[in-house]
Amino acid sequence: MSEGAAGYRVERSTRASRYGALAALLGLAVLVSLPFWGGRADMRTIVEIAYYLALAQLWNLLAGYAGLVSVGQQAFLGLGGYALFAFAIHAGVHPLAAIPLAGIAAALFAVPTAFIVFRLRGAYFAIGTWVVAEVYMLSFAQVSALGGGSGMSLPAAVVKGIAHGRMWRETAIYWTGLAIALGSIALVYLLLRSRHGLALTAIRDSEAASGSLGVDNFRTKIWVYIVAAFGTGMVGALVFLTKLRISPEAGFNVVDWTANVIFIVVIGGIGTIEGPIIGVIVFFVLRELLADFGSWYLIVLGAIAVLMMLRAPQGVWGLIAERFDLRFFPVQRRLVFDPASFSFVPGDGREGKRGQ
Amino acid sequence: MTSKSRTPGRTGSTRRAVLKAGAAGAAGAAALSAGFPSIVRAADTVRIGYVSPKTGPLAPFAEADEFNVASVLEAIGGKVESASGSLDVEIIVKDSQSNPNRAAEVASELILSDEVHLLCAGNTPETTNPVADQAEINEVPCVTTLCPWQPYFFGRGGNPAEGFQWTYHYFWGLEDIIAVFLNLWNKLETNKVVGGLYPNDGDGNAWGDPELGFPKPLAGAGYTLIDPGRYQNLSDDFSAQISEFKDAGAEIVTGVVLPPDFTTFWTQSAQQGFRPKAATVGKALLFPVSVEALGDAGHNLSSEIWWSPSHPFTSSLTGQTCGELAAAFTAATGKQWSQPVGYGHSIFEVALDIVSRADDINDPESMLASIVSTNVSTIAGPVSWGSGPVKNVAKMPLVGGQWRRTPDGPFGYDLVVTSNETAPDVPAGGDMEAIG
Repeated sequence: MSEGAAGYRVERSTRASRYGALAALLGLAVLVSLPFWGGRADMRTIVEIAYYLALAQLWNLLAGYAGLVSVGQQAFLGLGGYALFAFAIHAGVHPLAAIPLAGIAAALFAVPTAFIVFRLRGAYFAIGTWVVAEVYMLSFAQVSALGGGSGMSLPAAVVKGIAHGRMWRETAIYWTGLAIALGSIALVYLLLRSRHGLALTAIRDSEAASGSLGVDNFRTKIWVYIVAAFGTGMVGALVFLTKLRISPEAGFNVVDWTANVIFIVVIGGIGTIEGPIIGVIVFFVLRELLADFGSWYLIVLGAIAVLMMLRAPQGVWGLIAERFDLRFFPVQRRLVFDPASFSFVPGDGREGKRGQ
Repeated sequence: MTSKSRTPGRTGSTRRAVLKAGAAGAAGAAALSAGFPSIVRAADTVRIGYVSPKTGPLAPFAEADEFNVASVLEAIGGKVESASGSLDVEIIVKDSQSNPNRAAEVASELILSDEVHLLCAGNTPETTNPVADQAEINEVPCVTTLCPWQPYFFGRGGNPAEGFQWTYHYFWGLEDIIAVFLNLWNKLETNKVVGGLYPNDGDGNAWGDPELGFPKPLAGAGYTLIDPGRYQNLSDDFSAQISEFKDAGAEIVTGVVLPPDFTTFWTQSAQQGFRPKAATVGKALLFPVSVEALGDAGHNLSSEIWWSPSHPFTSSLTGQTCGELAAAFTAATGKQWSQPVGYGHSIFEVALDIVSRADDINDPESMLASIVSTNVSTIAGPVSWGSGPVKNVAKMPLVGGQWRRTPDGPFGYDLVVTSNETAPDVPAGGDMEAIG
């Protein structure tokens, strides 16, 4: 970027990011074409991985970057799921078209929610978001048009209306899943590279300091919260399009939609984009290996999370990045000195400060 | 139990590994087939998927699953004779973790990864409904049980005129449990004022429904139902309900309550001086452990009985009577019998009967035709679709009874049939008694 007599330049892309982008493109091509050569079970599993990845990215955006440790994202997931059922069954909207609408519905609900929970900080914020999610659950249990406490199923006719034939229906859902996962990564990446990303990083490191530097903390955080709710709502619609059935207990399930997601982010590495990707792989490998062992599966999962938090709070990706200095999603600006013409001239100093 | 033996495809094993495994498998199969190693063609395998809440709050329902799967496979020697020859039987059990999301997920795993020929599930709407929904949309034959048929059928948005195409269910319905409860209460001298405890969940909404639930038939039989409204499961305070029942002078309590909620309610009732003559509650009193948790206060509580060691049925697979099955369960696990023991056994009787009559297990339509023409006498009673209230539902016999303290027995309480008007074949074991 800026280069010259000063003998340094600011770089963002890394060698890993350039090769990584190439590998990602290849991987993407393989994934997109999977319906034409892969099995139905693989597609189904990848959709599940995709929506967990999207949830993890969104939660990581909240907790890892904006410092908003929410334990209540299931509120927006359940809302999105219920919005899908409401739009598809009661308004006759095409289920795939209902997915973005569900995101908008969740974002709309996020606005008043934000004004309540943002009055709380730290641990109180975490508990507050959980309480709000419980309130949503209890409220939806009263809505008899959406099945009340018993829940409701998506009629077979609605599901079959997605596309002609089972193959295209499953392919459409599969591609939607891929799009949501990629969309969430792209959203977080672009957001962090923008000036809002700088503001977020500043807030994460010190709210008071960022405020004194002119960052509008409240506004930035509220926007992140609403954006995360939008994404989570869309994921919710996708989730229940594959589950086919929703009930308050299923939609607002704190273990499925928040605890598992926190596990993924913590294991993978909080505050990085690569972390949730690694975490989701670890989570699914563990589940594949251990899910048949009943309670032991959950005990092992918990034990791993505790060990990681004690021994390696930076997560698996944090360890890798430290060891090999790898960054596939460069959101930092890095100062590179040109050794040939090295002569330290401070310049205006601004570039240096942005290095973090 | 969850033997997933097929490797190719997903795990990306090498061609050589697959060939080797295939050869080993073929050799094993040949060795098993008793003396004709080189002639027999590789036996086909029928895969039956079974989703059940092995862990989580619904786990008591699934307590007997492991025992049932093992004893059924042993009784049939791992094989079933079918219209298309002898088939190896593989029963793949998946844990729903008592979570409807997980139930849907493992059902779709069974359908897509394990490619089961028949999907089975049991134990409350939280398990049967997500599983049946996945089966219906993926066009896989599915049989479920152990959930009253209204929450199963209407809870899934079923339309009685059309019904479902791929999913069938056998159990009893609300009309049966209402009849049983009324029979139990009619044996007592009471003022016919009944307090109802209905939670806001699949069962509670169905039982308390003003049109399809308890209110109408109770009024028709001269009873007054006091319904304080839907409460949230796992409440820790029932004072509002108790005082409403007390004010109305209720002498009977009913409902469909989770076991921990009933313990709370019953303890608080005693503390607050509410002592009804009868407490006849669904769900909470199914399991001996929940009654034992009440100490002496469990004596003469009453409940519906869909299966007991005294039911007059025998297994089509093992020839055991109900008493023998219960005894075998206790011998194998050291635990007292509970009602799901019989139904958990019967679902495999039904499944294997369907498989044995299907022309081609690999053709879902053929399996479906076999389900529709089922007529098998199981340890839970005869199962056949066609005469049920809707096309996908077969009804099973239901009676009522009371928990009695058994100071001399091996276990603290025993469940005794005290009303069998609804199914006279089931012998009564005692008379209905008022509480305390």
